[in-house]
Amino acid sequence: MNPQEKRHSPWLVFSSQIIVVGGLIGIWEYIMYIGWASAALYGQPSGIWDALGYGLIETTELWQELGWTMLAVLIAFGIGAGVALIIGMLFVLFPFIEKVMEPLLAALNAMPRIALAPLLILWFGLGMGSKVAIGASLTFFIVLQSVTAGGRGVNQDHITLSQTLGLKPLESFWKITMPTAVPTVFAGLRLGLMYALLGVVAGEIIASEHGLGQRVAYLTSSFDINGVWAVVCVLSVVGMALSWSLGALENRLLRWQ
Amino acid sequence: MRHKRESEMLSTVSKVQPQAPQAESAAAGAVTLDQATIRFGEVTAFQDVSLDIRPGEFVSVVGPSGCGKTTILNYIAGLLPREVLSEGSIDVLGEAPTTGNPHLGYMLARDSLLPWRTALGNAEFGMEARGVAKAERRARAHELLARVGLKDFEKSYPKMLSHGMRQRVALARTFCLDAELLLMDEPYGALDAQTKFQLEELLMDLWQGSGRTVLFITHDLAEAIALGDRVVVMAPRPGRIISDIEIDLPRPRNLRALQRDTRYHELYRHVWSTLEEGFENTGEQQ
Repeated sequence: MNPQEKRHSPWLVFSSQIIVVGGLIGIWEYIMYIGWASAALYGQPSGIWDALGYGLIETTELWQELGWTMLAVLIAFGIGAGVALIIGMLFVLFPFIEKVMEPLLAALNAMPRIALAPLLILWFGLGMGSKVAIGASLTFFIVLQSVTAGGRGVNQDHITLSQTLGLKPLESFWKITMPTAVPTVFAGLRLGLMYALLGVVAGEIIASEHGLGQRVAYLTSSFDINGVWAVVCVLSVVGMALSWSLGALENRLLRWQ
Repeated sequence: MRHKRESEMLSTVSKVQPQAPQAESAAAGAVTLDQATIRFGEVTAFQDVSLDIRPGEFVSVVGPSGCGKTTILNYIAGLLPREVLSEGSIDVLGEAPTTGNPHLGYMLARDSLLPWRTALGNAEFGMEARGVAKAERRARAHELLARVGLKDFEKSYPKMLSHGMRQRVALARTFCLDAELLLMDEPYGALDAQTKFQLEELLMDLWQGSGRTVLFITHDLAEAIALGDRVVVMAPRPGRIISDIEIDLPRPRNLRALQRDTRYHELYRHVWSTLEEGFENTGEQQ
């Protein structure tokens, strides 16, 4: 939008990106090739490439594990974000409830919830339940904060307008407060989705039957470093895809911004 | 073809609007301030203000910041607690002020458009809040947007519109309402001179023959005189009325012709000297 912003040709940017990434991978490969560092300990790009081919094409086991992880992420995100939206809206509508709950929530939020993961695994078992619980608990607080912050940011002129027009509190909530909060909530949802992925993978790494996190733990313990990197590559692509798809949805819904 | 239909619709609108002022309130005045004093704790916003605004009248209020102009407007709109009125009385259409009074429209210096609604959605918003049926409010919003010259911008979001265009949408939203009393708080305060002039003409066009009462607050003396039937001059600390000048320029007024009108310039000099007499620090004027 800013006319001052210099326009670079997208092709120039893209090709430069390829050169930078390719260069870094090349340096890594070369260091391993000449033996400055141990490929068995740090992994090697060519080996990672083979591991990706093996996991994604030959055995397709990475796809299956990815499926387990994604299912858990979506459930965790759905529960965490859904509950946070409802509670957040209640907080915005009834600030009294927020005031009462604030210290408790602040304490819960300050707690490093990953530390609760072993306990959650104990409670919910090694299946879906535990990793969903971890992911959902991380998502919940992020989204809750975004809803309450967004709901507080209502423009004073809009409040005056709704008062003079005689909007009832609930109408004002739906027609003014909620639309005002949407951009902030979206930022929270995007972050919340990343945290759901983080929580689920962490849960899988600690103890789980399935999932990419479980693969990372397994492959690390069996010293298959290239295999670990392959899983990490898949995870980062998944993370980017999730973030991108929510961003695309956001752009569609927030055309007015 | 389309133009014809619009002008037909417009004529039905202007037929609806003049019935606005109630017959009974005609004697009482649209807005009556009787020796009113408003205090916020220790601070006196304005003191001993008496003002009688007749139905259908366009009253401009000028004065520097801190003279209580906006406070008067906010009290009339029911935005302030009743207790701040420590002496005297303020009646709106024969009653005590109420928040969300359906007979009243309020327009601010900033357009206060909802950024997530299109121009059309914003023009409809006031009627929507006041429970006008969907088909009717859509039709009226179309008409008013055409009248304010934004027919081709109905689907635009506020961020895509210029300042002046946004204020036009706000005008459309206000004039879509069946409100017989319009309160305007420096609606053109943030506009450049050219845009301001166009919007003043537009306001005259919308208001003349509508039968609505307008209380128009401004910093701009020329604007106050060109638009108003009366110009009320206020002074600060404490806020008070120092002069109430009848503007006997004929209606309907042509604002462009007015620039060359000797009577207009006489009035301007007269109001200006009143202002100067009223307080020492005229620095805040104009």
